[in-house]
Amino acid sequence: MQKLDRRWIYIVVALAIIIPLMIPYDSDNVTTPPTENLYQMIDSFAGREDRAILMSFYHDAATMPELFPMEVAILRHAFERNVKVFTLTWMPAGAPIIEYAINTVKEEFPDIQSGVDYCNFGYKPQPFALVLGMGDNIANTMNTDAEGRKLENLPIMRGINNYSEMNLVVEFSGSVAGATWITYARPKYGLNVAVGVTAVMAADLYPYLQSGQLVGMLSGLKGAAEYEKLVDVFAAYRDPARDYSITHDEDGNRILPGRPFGREILEDESTRKLIRITTQTEAEFTLDQFAAFTAKHPEHIPLLNRLGEVREEKMVIDLDQVTPEIREEMGEALYQELYRLTGDTLYKFKVARIGMNAQSVAHIMIIVFIILGNIGYFIQKARAAKN
Amino acid sequence: MSFELFSNLVGAFFTLCIFSFLYKDNPFYQAAEQMLVGISLGYGLVYTYERVFVPYVYQTIVIKHEFVLIIPALLGMLYLLRFSRKLGWLSRYPIAFSMMGVGMGVPMGIHAAILVQMRQAMVPIETLNLFLIFIGTIAVLLYFFFSKAHTGVYGKFVNVGKWYMMIGFGASFGLTVMARISLLIGRIQFLVNDVFQMIIK
Amino acid sequence: MKKTIPLLIVILGGLIWVAWAFSPHYVLQEVFYNQFYLPWVYAMSSFAMLLGVLSLSMMHSAKIKRKAPKWQYSYFFFASFVITCLAGFIGGTQKGGLFMWMFENVQMPMSATMFSLLAFYMASAAYKAFRARSPEATVLLIAAIVVMLAQVPLGMQISRHLPTFSQWILDVPNLASKRGIMLGVGLGSVATSLKILLGIERSYLGGGD
Repeated sequence: MQKLDRRWIYIVVALAIIIPLMIPYDSDNVTTPPTENLYQMIDSFAGREDRAILMSFYHDAATMPELFPMEVAILRHAFERNVKVFTLTWMPAGAPIIEYAINTVKEEFPDIQSGVDYCNFGYKPQPFALVLGMGDNIANTMNTDAEGRKLENLPIMRGINNYSEMNLVVEFSGSVAGATWITYARPKYGLNVAVGVTAVMAADLYPYLQSGQLVGMLSGLKGAAEYEKLVDVFAAYRDPARDYSITHDEDGNRILPGRPFGREILEDESTRKLIRITTQTEAEFTLDQFAAFTAKHPEHIPLLNRLGEVREEKMVIDLDQVTPEIREEMGEALYQELYRLTGDTLYKFKVARIGMNAQSVAHIMIIVFIILGNIGYFIQKARAAKN
Repeated sequence: MSFELFSNLVGAFFTLCIFSFLYKDNPFYQAAEQMLVGISLGYGLVYTYERVFVPYVYQTIVIKHEFVLIIPALLGMLYLLRFSRKLGWLSRYPIAFSMMGVGMGVPMGIHAAILVQMRQAMVPIETLNLFLIFIGTIAVLLYFFFSKAHTGVYGKFVNVGKWYMMIGFGASFGLTVMARISLLIGRIQFLVNDVFQMIIK
Repeated sequence: MKKTIPLLIVILGGLIWVAWAFSPHYVLQEVFYNQFYLPWVYAMSSFAMLLGVLSLSMMHSAKIKRKAPKWQYSYFFFASFVITCLAGFIGGTQKGGLFMWMFENVQMPMSATMFSLLAFYMASAAYKAFRARSPEATVLLIAAIVVMLAQVPLGMQISRHLPTFSQWILDVPNLASKRGIMLGVGLGSVATSLKILLGIERSYLGGGD
């Protein structure tokens, strides 16, 4: 048993990962305080002109499977809740990753514009100099963004001068994450630092979490899965009764979509529906919610009543039954609203959670290997002792 | 066949070239490995030229006429003399210039890596967890202090540090397993979703 | 003599940097840092890349000349390097060009795959090498198994308390041991930096005359 050819083990590993990825099933990732703290910090900047976050992509393509879902999840959170985002990288290999991340998320948010809601600084050399320079003035230090536009002329820079406003940096790295910011920017300028790291480095950074030098940490694929779940439950949440076409209130303040973080919501039964990762096609309403929803679209009430089906005191609309003609009749806006209410998540926003399903199987496999290996070893030792 | 599918197939081909190493070392793997190094180096060179050399050397000297910057440009070229036996000593100058920054690393490093961590280790011990953290930190630090022999009661206390480290390394190992498998999951997701399912469609 | 002047540059420059960390004086912050150090370091840093190019090219051409084992593959290195450089300098680095296409569809998948091989090696090592030979090793393996199970959604199904217990392992014993190690490493690196600053440590200048 000890002399088993390695290549059989490799085949088992490959199958243990391919099969769960091809057959998705629902699972729940328990959120931990480091992730929740980061989510709450970013959410506190929601809708504010004078706050922004900086995402530093300090990695290359090799660590993308763990770090890319985190970056997409945070960008989605920021775009949903109107948080200003700046992105930069200290490595040339990171530049295409930033563009890939922004383009992946931007597809679902047609109103988000470069220079207004987000700004990509691109690849900037010499991190040390820039980290310190941004503490005084960001526009002077960085000069131009990745497309060559002068920063002072961009609308996003209105209200943002230095670290007092761009108050959180989230660094994504597979190795030394956050060290430059914690050592140089935080003591001098009081910048808040958070990291998204591969799980290898996560255990080593716990002292920084406890000392407050890091406000939050996303550790590996699990951290990404937890953050995706939080975005689905809070930032991407849509209330059937609310009219989301009203974006500003009477004073001109922005009304934000989604809802703020609340731990009791996470433990509530109703979130189970929101965090499912299998394809969802049914939008569920309580009867009061349905009445409020149809009141928003009075011209489509007959159509909605036709599509709706009462099940266990809830009104259910199954989008599978919406043919192209019905879709044209109801209009794209209503269809998109119904789609949001099904709680279905696009594949690209649940990559980490699907990956965690494969992780479950893989971890069981590794534990079985360790136990089998040890059993074989002890049996061999006992035999040798007998002889 | 769409261009996107073709690009994904090229990516899948090179992915499988590297995976073929698991079965046996073979020419596909060797060739792919060398191509990886060549493209990475070429990419770094072109990007450095475009984003560092042109704006900070060429434009500042030729267009903005800041001729004093010819000196650091010449110093930078001295890096290349590293390989010359006679003039290799000249390459020490640009290295010395970059090592100057270590002066800043001393006070900032003491603050962030040592003082803040020490301060957090010396908080009032109000809960059992804080007590355990305090004992553990002291025991681990003493474990590496070899000027005093680890014997008797002192040795037993220092042994506690060893147990703490075993648990810490066990946790690191558990997380490392997750990290490694995540990387493989990423590749397989690419092969399954971006290639296999695109072909089926 | 050939080592003295660089050494003096490091010592004097380092001391100015220490003063920079503590003093907000205009001469240090604006004149030294913004007007002298920053433009100079930007101008010098681009040439460091050429060092890497030269080093690898020399290694591979020596391999081809000596006909060392697997020398034919060095041609793949040169071919891919030259094609990438030509594509970048002539075609440009914008998205959609040959340069970025090669990077995104050849380099990025290969680089990611290199790292993913580790998962297979880890599984093989788990079976063949991770032995509970001593009580300490057993404790290590048990902690690892608890943390591994708690990370995945399955852990919640096994026991409601598993994620809490795993978080406790990460927050208390793991934190204590990592803090102890981090203090040791921090002290060591500060000591080395201080030795470099004071000119005691000279290995960065290289050997020879």
